[in-house]
Amino acid sequence: MNAAMQELLNWVIDQTKKAGAPESKVSVSKRRFVDIRYREKRPDTVKEAMTQNLNLEVFMNGRYCSQSTPDLRKSTLEKFIKEVVENASILDQDPYRTLPDPKYFTGITDIGLDQKDTQHGNYSAQDRHNVARSIEEMSLSKGGEKVISVEATCYDSQSEEYVKTSNGFEGSVEETYYSKGASVTMQDEGDRRPNSGYWVSSRIREDLPDSEEVGNLAAVRTMNLLGSKKISTETLPVILENRGAGRLLNGFIQALAGWNIQQKRSFLADMKNKQVGSKVFTLIDDPHIVRGLGSRKYDGDGITAVRREIVKEGLLLEFFIDWYYSRKLECEPTTSWPSNLILPPGNRSVEAIMKGLGRGILITDYLGGNSNSTTGDFSVGIIGQLFDKGRIVHPVSEMNIADNHLKFWNKLIEVANDPWNYSSYRLPSMVFKDVVVAGV
Amino acid sequence: MSQIIPRRKFIRSAALAGGSMVLLPHLKGNAMVLASPANGYFLNEFGIDEALCRKLLSKALSRGGDFADLYFEHTVSSFLGLEDGKVNRSYGDITLGVGIRTVKGDQVGYGFTQDLTEESMMSVAATAASLCDTSATAVSDEFSRPALKNYYPVDPGLIEIPGSLKLPVLQQINEKCFSFSPLVVKVNAGFSHDLKHIMVVTSDGIIAEDTQPSGYIYASVVVEKDGKRESSGWNLGGKRDFSYYTSEVVEKVASKAVNNALKLFDAIQPPAGEIPVVLGPGVTGILLHEAIGHGMEADFNRKKISTYSTMLNKKVAEPFVTIIDDATNLNLSGSINVDDEGVPGKKTILVENGILTGYLHDKISAKHYGVEPTGNGRRQSFEHYPLPRMRNTYMLGGDAMPEDVVKAAGNGIYVEDVSNGQVKIGEGDFAFYVSQGRMIENGKLTAPVKDINIMGNGPKMLSNIVMAANDLEMFEGGGGMCGKNGQGVRVSFGLPTCLVKSMTVGGTRQKGGAS
Repeated sequence: MNAAMQELLNWVIDQTKKAGAPESKVSVSKRRFVDIRYREKRPDTVKEAMTQNLNLEVFMNGRYCSQSTPDLRKSTLEKFIKEVVENASILDQDPYRTLPDPKYFTGITDIGLDQKDTQHGNYSAQDRHNVARSIEEMSLSKGGEKVISVEATCYDSQSEEYVKTSNGFEGSVEETYYSKGASVTMQDEGDRRPNSGYWVSSRIREDLPDSEEVGNLAAVRTMNLLGSKKISTETLPVILENRGAGRLLNGFIQALAGWNIQQKRSFLADMKNKQVGSKVFTLIDDPHIVRGLGSRKYDGDGITAVRREIVKEGLLLEFFIDWYYSRKLECEPTTSWPSNLILPPGNRSVEAIMKGLGRGILITDYLGGNSNSTTGDFSVGIIGQLFDKGRIVHPVSEMNIADNHLKFWNKLIEVANDPWNYSSYRLPSMVFKDVVVAGV
Repeated sequence: MSQIIPRRKFIRSAALAGGSMVLLPHLKGNAMVLASPANGYFLNEFGIDEALCRKLLSKALSRGGDFADLYFEHTVSSFLGLEDGKVNRSYGDITLGVGIRTVKGDQVGYGFTQDLTEESMMSVAATAASLCDTSATAVSDEFSRPALKNYYPVDPGLIEIPGSLKLPVLQQINEKCFSFSPLVVKVNAGFSHDLKHIMVVTSDGIIAEDTQPSGYIYASVVVEKDGKRESSGWNLGGKRDFSYYTSEVVEKVASKAVNNALKLFDAIQPPAGEIPVVLGPGVTGILLHEAIGHGMEADFNRKKISTYSTMLNKKVAEPFVTIIDDATNLNLSGSINVDDEGVPGKKTILVENGILTGYLHDKISAKHYGVEPTGNGRRQSFEHYPLPRMRNTYMLGGDAMPEDVVKAAGNGIYVEDVSNGQVKIGEGDFAFYVSQGRMIENGKLTAPVKDINIMGNGPKMLSNIVMAANDLEMFEGGGGMCGKNGQGVRVSFGLPTCLVKSMTVGGTRQKGGAS
């Protein structure tokens, strides 16, 4: 943290104290990004900007208020700070609302997480245009005459955040983020125009695959949807493809949150140290993966980030409990939300697994749906490929799967060897048995 | 709570309002001021005058382009929350900045800044201009302000809602929820409010300003019986001032949240597969929004992505089906006096007597199709460029009685409340999540159902609407946000009771079998 930023944060905390709030937390974030999209072999949109925000949280004898402003001038911040304190002063007192005990700020890892690409400054406007152009060209070339539209995207940002609390926490983060991909629409039979795509993201630019590969896969994934049909309602094995598996896992994760547990909205609240899934189901929250998209040294409360086993061989070991709800629940805080979530990969490829499964569905995308954190029931639309003994039969769409999480994760029979590392959810493809797939 | 508007009365109400307004019940009393929306706000508060705007637009068109526009925004957002009986959290945010867009054909150069100094804004205008590489395009010599009607008349003294006014409302919600049932074990309540000032300045000489007060209250409850828990919630709001949040509105929110949660104790899963579906009136209009509305947004059609791109002027539904997207409904969440490109709010007919008659346009798509913009150019904030977006989307009522529609379904499900709708534009496939519903057995409503997904195909579903009742309701919730391309905008929707011949219901039970 540079001296000017240090001085600003100290000044805000001091002014907040003078305004009547003895404890406070202040953070300043800045981000610069470039977003380029290509369509019809030319730039469709070119967008570039910088944003900044100051967020102030005040704690006044259990009264709590959090507000943000983009205006970092001290002349306007003075009024802003007074407003935040005034807004807190009218609230009910809540004895659980305090800054975290400073003992949770200690022991921060000295591992270099490599979150900032030192070469970001050399990424030129021409480089970005070349990326988007190459992706579009490859998608058009691979997709051929069936292509109706390709939108290729190239996005990158550089951000920094500085945090300080009145009780001794101080932290700063500098990160870069890169993303590229394409959305491809093709002509199918009748009026159907299937759309799919392929996108990847990373902290360091060199970790991304070639643009040609991205464009190629974007077209292939759409071609794989051509001629889709709905099948009859059946009980089948399903494989959740790695990159989308988080969509269903999220319904499980949200029930691990301290808020849901304390507010009696979690079907997992009474399941600690009990079996919630099959022996294949293991989940690890690892904040210290070098170049990981969810990596961090401390969490949103400033609590030191550590690796935790959340589920081990189906046994639920930990919840995600932040400081405030740890006090309400009278337990130790863990962390507010997952960092990098890992399900350890298996040994076989998806193709090898499919050969031994007989008839089933490889789920590659989802549509709508929801998960009820209170009951664990979920229902979601699915899109994918019907397969039989390892051979793709035809794509399927307009179908649905529904279950309860406590039953569903017990149906997990195998995971593939293909963890998806272009996300903070580093999940492999997952195989479930006996799932009701609703169709005709 | 939604208001029932029979089809004929709906049309008559619109005519009486003179501006195609839907008259809703909370607009009584004399305190309403039909004030013109906030002209001069950005000049008075931030010194943004016409000369500066002209300079910025000239810079944005300095390398050519068809047109450019400036979008100034100042929004103050606030939220007060109640948990465990205490109003114990207050959140706030200030959004301030300008977005500058240069348009050449259908290409867009865009930049924005939070810093309203001339230097910073000129730099952003240069970013927007970088899309083009020809000679400069001229900016209009004069600016004029379009006459705007006011579709959210509010009391200027009640559009800023301080925490001290919100606090007792939340306490009332909490008390009401607990008073309705001893089975209530947890109550969360919130009061959200935004006051947004915008100014759009275009290179063809339009300045349009508006003040948009938006907000809602909600209750979310957990009920417990015999060790089993269920949860539900409800919200009401819109583009309103504080006078809307009366004790009657509080009671409606609380009772709906509690009653919806209690019903779930008896809910069952219907058999999975294709069955007839009756959509109840009001909030189920999200189906129109997802299955039909998005596919009729003109950007998807000019890019030929949408399945509706070849259906213009063709029959897409039975003759009794008329679908409208409307900016002019009084005080609804999706109502706008002016869109985010400076086009006055208006009513757009999408499907008339079963024929697809038009799309929802922004300026780019309107030029592409050679039609007038429909006032659907909307954006989340100054950080985003506008896209064709819905406002309040609804289908007019038919002639049948609601109970006859249920009877005609025979065996199926009746959908009362939905969430999490999504559509695949190209295929037209859509899904939405049924949080409240009932089984229909032998033409009668029976056991409650919950937590199921309904799947369908937009064009197919539209042609499969075989019956509509005379009970159109508009959803008056304030929390409805529609997402598209990473941007959220407030919308509303409405529907009469409708029978859809067949849709896919997702469940854990196969027809005739156990789960």
